[in-house]
Amino acid sequence: MPNYIESSAIKLTPRDRIFVDAEFYTGEKFENLELHRMFPITGLTKYIALVDSEGNEIGIIRDVEELMPESRDTALQCLDEYYMMPRIKRFIKMSEKFEIWMWTVETDKGICTFEIRNHITAIKPLYDGRVLIKDANDNRYEIPDVKQLDKKSYKMISPKL
Amino acid sequence: MSETSNMPIPQKFRDRLNAIVKPEEVLFSVVGDLNLKGKYAESVAVFLKDRVITFDECLKEEYKVTLYSDIEEAGIKRLYGNAMFKIKTRSGKKEDLLRFSYASAEIADAGANFINVTNKKGFSPDEVEVVYAVYNKQRSFCPRCGRKLPKPGAECINCSGKSKVISKFARYITPEKGPLFFCMFLSVITTAMALVPPYITKILVDNVIPQNNLNGLIKIILILAVVYVVQYAVNGLRAYKLRLTGNRIIMSIKKDIYAKSQYLPMSFYDKISTGSVINRVNSDAAVIQSFVMKISQEAIVQAFTLVGLIVIMLSMDWKLTLFSLVPIPVVVVVAKLFSRIIKPKYMRLWRRGSAISTVLADTIPGVRIVKAFTNERNAIRKFDSFCDEWYNEDKKVAAPAAIFPSIITFLVTCGSLVIWFAGGKMVIGGDSGITLGLLVSFISYASMFYNPVNFFANIGDTYQNTLASAEKILDILDAEPEHNFGKGNIAPRLDGRIEFRNVNFSFDRSKKVLSNINLTIEPGDIVGIVGTTGSGKSTLINLLMRYYDEYDGEILVDGENIRNIDMDYYRNSIGFVQQEPMMFRDTIFNNIAYGSNQRNVEQVLYAAEVANAHGFISKMPDAYDTMLGERGVGLSGGEKQRVSIARAVLKNPSILIFDEATAAVDSETENLIQTAIERLISGRTTLMIAHRLSTLRKANKIVVVDKGEIVECGTPDELMALKGKYYKLIEIQSMGDLLRKKKEEENFE
Repeated sequence: MPNYIESSAIKLTPRDRIFVDAEFYTGEKFENLELHRMFPITGLTKYIALVDSEGNEIGIIRDVEELMPESRDTALQCLDEYYMMPRIKRFIKMSEKFEIWMWTVETDKGICTFEIRNHITAIKPLYDGRVLIKDANDNRYEIPDVKQLDKKSYKMISPKL
Repeated sequence: MSETSNMPIPQKFRDRLNAIVKPEEVLFSVVGDLNLKGKYAESVAVFLKDRVITFDECLKEEYKVTLYSDIEEAGIKRLYGNAMFKIKTRSGKKEDLLRFSYASAEIADAGANFINVTNKKGFSPDEVEVVYAVYNKQRSFCPRCGRKLPKPGAECINCSGKSKVISKFARYITPEKGPLFFCMFLSVITTAMALVPPYITKILVDNVIPQNNLNGLIKIILILAVVYVVQYAVNGLRAYKLRLTGNRIIMSIKKDIYAKSQYLPMSFYDKISTGSVINRVNSDAAVIQSFVMKISQEAIVQAFTLVGLIVIMLSMDWKLTLFSLVPIPVVVVVAKLFSRIIKPKYMRLWRRGSAISTVLADTIPGVRIVKAFTNERNAIRKFDSFCDEWYNEDKKVAAPAAIFPSIITFLVTCGSLVIWFAGGKMVIGGDSGITLGLLVSFISYASMFYNPVNFFANIGDTYQNTLASAEKILDILDAEPEHNFGKGNIAPRLDGRIEFRNVNFSFDRSKKVLSNINLTIEPGDIVGIVGTTGSGKSTLINLLMRYYDEYDGEILVDGENIRNIDMDYYRNSIGFVQQEPMMFRDTIFNNIAYGSNQRNVEQVLYAAEVANAHGFISKMPDAYDTMLGERGVGLSGGEKQRVSIARAVLKNPSILIFDEATAAVDSETENLIQTAIERLISGRTTLMIAHRLSTLRKANKIVVVDKGEIVECGTPDELMALKGKYYKLIEIQSMGDLLRKKKEEENFE
């Protein structure tokens, strides 16, 4: 059974962009830990594993939102750095030739252009209105709620859903 | 400056770069697409002989120079959806130099490797060549539009003309040119015949009947009879010919999709469901065929009819002809509008249909698991929901698809009302020269005239449907097949010397599955590959089998890069026994002889005997003629395993691979399989993946794989003495065996 860490029993301090140091209530200390989401798509703050540089799992935090405020901010910041799944806010341009699509989109990380090789496998609509997208280079993007897109963007994406 | 870079260096950084270094000093550069804070921005790492210069808007002064001599280790840290070029300085400090999405990750890898090797061995132009080789492998983008190409030097389909797509399907039609032209000729005859009766009606109404000319009536009836006989006889012949031609076209499309699907690399099937491939062979090919028929026959017939009608009608009366043309612009506008509305709906409908096929392909073959987990209700619910979604989508298509033809017909009817009114007035007035016969035949022609218009208005619907299907089919037909660069490169017989050189591999760039694999296996070696689940053992074998070709480094067999050996010959030289061997719906005999040129009965029997399979097969009522159901139903796991070993025996391979061959069987069967394996492996290079280390008792070399790397390699005795991972695994397993024995004894008592 995984080792679940009580949210009150751990203190996280930032180490590097994606690394944290952890100190347990028992006095046990770990350095240079990475935070890995067990559910990178469906659980952004839930079930976060602490992994050491060897890849060994120290334990799992059930919900980082329940950590002490400083630790929580550290954890959220690290997760945000580690996991890059830009949220698409708007579609700017979508061109297609011979089934290779070139999309230019505005995301929360800025404007970017990427290529979709096969929109049947690259675009995965989920039931809650979220849409996951994987480009030709295996980078990931998401549309948090396809119905919240502006009319023009929705018109562009809807035939592919 | 001819530079080695994955993308052109952004101008703002180039100016600064030129101010600090001479262009000829630059060896290569990596252009990133993120800044260090993870926002989309331009960033660059420029590699020189002794230092790397990084440009990033987040850096102080926007750039930073790092000497290689200050770096202890450089590497790429792959995060989720992005990666970081990280260094550890000699003072122990960790620094991030560059951040980028996965697009540049492999090139950055080469850069990090270059720094590490230069630090270790000093600068060497050979190392720069290694980096260039990685660039060339990656340089698979079109020089004109910058779009990524499927392989270096491939033709960019973006920059080639649209005719390419047409020509892709034209090659199915070209061989049928003769029959299609013949059918077209027949169509012209039937169309011409169809145009005769209304004209004869005019003569009948205006000249024959009012003059009570009985002889004339009989003559005209006879002419009409001949016209009808020719029309319908030719039509019958045409339908017959067309059916055969159409079926030949659909057959060749289906054959091509199937053939292509056999040669597609495993990486294609990792990303696409088999249900969707089946759907493409079955239904999408039929859609294309029906469209080809419509375009090559119907469209031509209708166009011919249209032109013929306009000529006849104009020669009869130009004013009435113009009246009948009134609804045409409206019809065209409505058709355009319809096409725009329906296209996205058809795309969505196709996706829903494909999803249903996928659920079927998933759950029907896995019906045992469904039952074992009493998951029938969930399976039904899931299928129901997919069907409902399909139905809901279909409802959205159904409304416009059904209403549109009615709108067209209504417009057309309005047109005939106009002719009746205007023409009727002219006949009643009597001064326009229009007779009753002419009006009646005009009305007949006008009703015929709207058929082709209707056809061309509706073809948009079919066209959209076809386009969606064509997209799916081209997806397979255009997919890059497995490369067989070494076609024809065949050695008399492989000795079986295997060498992995600096092999690195990842399935989707997000995580390296194998890194720095260096391994030499001599001919006749029996090598056990051990490691925990997910450590990369099977991936190692998948690369050796050439299921995946996109790895870095080299795999050599008898000193030859396996990518340069003829694929068929190479795979035929390897006997592969899997954990869950696949059986086909065929006799046991054919299952053993599967894929082998040796169909000699005695050789098959010999192979079965060596594999310890002959005993159980001969006891079956139908023995070697026993028909196996889908996926080998009718045989136990151990029996299937022995049939698959017999397959390998028959192939007489130089290299043998066993992937957990005895993992799923009981101890007694394991012994039977073990003896079969031992008989088979003598004198052959053998690789065995095993969980149960007892199966490796014959191995003279053990390779321990952990987290994608070879952590230990040597003889079993050497590794035991090392007291490392292998030792631990042996310890754990012997403890487990002891416990199992103890339990067994307790049970007996």
